[in-house]
Amino acid sequence: MKNKKKLMPWLFSFPSLILIALIIIFPILYTGYISFTNMNLYHWFDFKMIGFDNYIRALLKLDSGFLMALVVTVLWTVLNMILQVIAAYFIALGLNHKGLKLSRVYKTLLMFPWAMPAYVSILLWRVGMFNTEFGLLNQILKTFGLSEINFLSTNVPAFISCMVLNLWMALPFMIMMIDGAMQSIDQSYYESAKLDGAGFFARNKYITIPAIKPIMAPAVIMTTFTTFKQFDIVYLLTRQKGALTGATFQTILTYSHENAFVSNNYGLSSAVSIIIFIIIILFSLYTNRSLKEENQ
Amino acid sequence: MSGRKAKNIVGLSLLNLIFIILCIIALLPIIYALSLSLSGDSGALSSHFSLLPSKISLANYQAILTEKPFLQWLSNSLQLSVATMVISIGFGVLAAYACSRFRFRGRRTMLMMLLLLNAFPQILSMFAIFRLFKDMNLIDSKIGLVIIYAGTMCIFSIWNMKGYFDTIPVEIEEASKIDGASDMKLLFKIVLPLARPAIIVTSVMVLIFVWNEYLFATTFMLNEHSYTLAGGLYQLQSSDYSRSWPMFSAAAILVSIPILIIFFCIQKYMVSGLTAGGVKG
Repeated sequence: MKNKKKLMPWLFSFPSLILIALIIIFPILYTGYISFTNMNLYHWFDFKMIGFDNYIRALLKLDSGFLMALVVTVLWTVLNMILQVIAAYFIALGLNHKGLKLSRVYKTLLMFPWAMPAYVSILLWRVGMFNTEFGLLNQILKTFGLSEINFLSTNVPAFISCMVLNLWMALPFMIMMIDGAMQSIDQSYYESAKLDGAGFFARNKYITIPAIKPIMAPAVIMTTFTTFKQFDIVYLLTRQKGALTGATFQTILTYSHENAFVSNNYGLSSAVSIIIFIIIILFSLYTNRSLKEENQ
Repeated sequence: MSGRKAKNIVGLSLLNLIFIILCIIALLPIIYALSLSLSGDSGALSSHFSLLPSKISLANYQAILTEKPFLQWLSNSLQLSVATMVISIGFGVLAAYACSRFRFRGRRTMLMMLLLLNAFPQILSMFAIFRLFKDMNLIDSKIGLVIIYAGTMCIFSIWNMKGYFDTIPVEIEEASKIDGASDMKLLFKIVLPLARPAIIVTSVMVLIFVWNEYLFATTFMLNEHSYTLAGGLYQLQSSDYSRSWPMFSAAAILVSIPILIIFFCIQKYMVSGLTAGGVKG
């Protein structure tokens, strides 16, 4: 009877654990194995172990492009998160303004970009907004008599275009989180603060921001992860197979993907994957711990 | 006093104006695609632009439905989503129940491991899976894709449903245990009906995930008839997109409508579901 009790939970978890071991853990281990070999298109079957060469190439040789991609990814994550949190904060503040009768309507309309399937949004933007000939942005520029801009053909404009699109796609979630957090604040704080003569700035600094911080922390951390891991926007906007736009900047995920599926450097790509995985593990262990400490 | 009132009205109008502009920006790409898809011809590609089509026609919708294997893609997407949902929820419910109700050795480790694995982007091991599947002849096969999707979503399902199971009071189960119910009976007759909201939301999220996934779908499905909606749309815009752009926008609208409807139905639970399952360890 006692043994049965001990076995029960494992019996219940068994199907999931097998599936996860097969499709998540084993491929990771296999990726780790490939990262120590010289596997590429010419060595599909007769690859051999080459030790840490791929890691050395990724981490120590500047011309491998990995370090540059890492810098771009960090820049991408930081810039996006700053813009996103600030913009969402002010939009949510506006939505919570007492006199704003239509706030529910605005909220629903602002949610649409979040609800669209991501790849549909990105492809719509690529052809519908950024395209040089019939993209909306250039058509607007043309009606004002301005010259066309080739949004995706050079690095800096392409990076900014990706950021604009990311903001468009990710802001709704952030707005919704901050808005929800703001609504849980007790209104009496504001009333007494107003009586004490606290201005707009002071009310935000001493009431709103501290009050929403514990609710916001998990949401911001989650979004930071997704922004860091963001692959679709950069890939679909600038690097699609057979449809490169001219921009050459890479994030670490597009870099790993390109080495695996375009230039067939399977070993290097796997080494990069493992490095990224380790970064993500360290990052999530750290954030999990600091979150728990904050909650106590 | 009246000066202050006037100031308030000006401030509010300004705020409303800002929000109207924000909403227009948020909806602009979607409205543009909708208007192009309804314009009926590819004349929309001409140089002068307008957001309203001069005549409304469903020609592009008809074209995408009859000239392209859109319905085939739709059926592929549906089959994949439903199969993935059944497997990942079926397996996930059991594991989530075990993790929520039993205190067994290795439980915490297991949950932490799952959380870490969930942080791992599947793209990173895509090549390893591709190579393994190639040797096992699982490329271009729905079974292969379903296994990948189910494995990925299983972790998410476990965490998401475990969070909800934790909120169901144990006393209800203890009472029926005293009445002599077995573990299995307990799960199916008592816990699952109580957890129905969580199961529905999680299932819908799995469905949306498969519906929206394009990278594995385009890499592992190589033949036009095994494409999913994502794969089909991807191919539609990557081959001659200048010619089929109005048709592509029609397809994009068609693909998005069911997701938009589902999204706004479960939106309320989505935020809480995501944050509850997301970080707490």
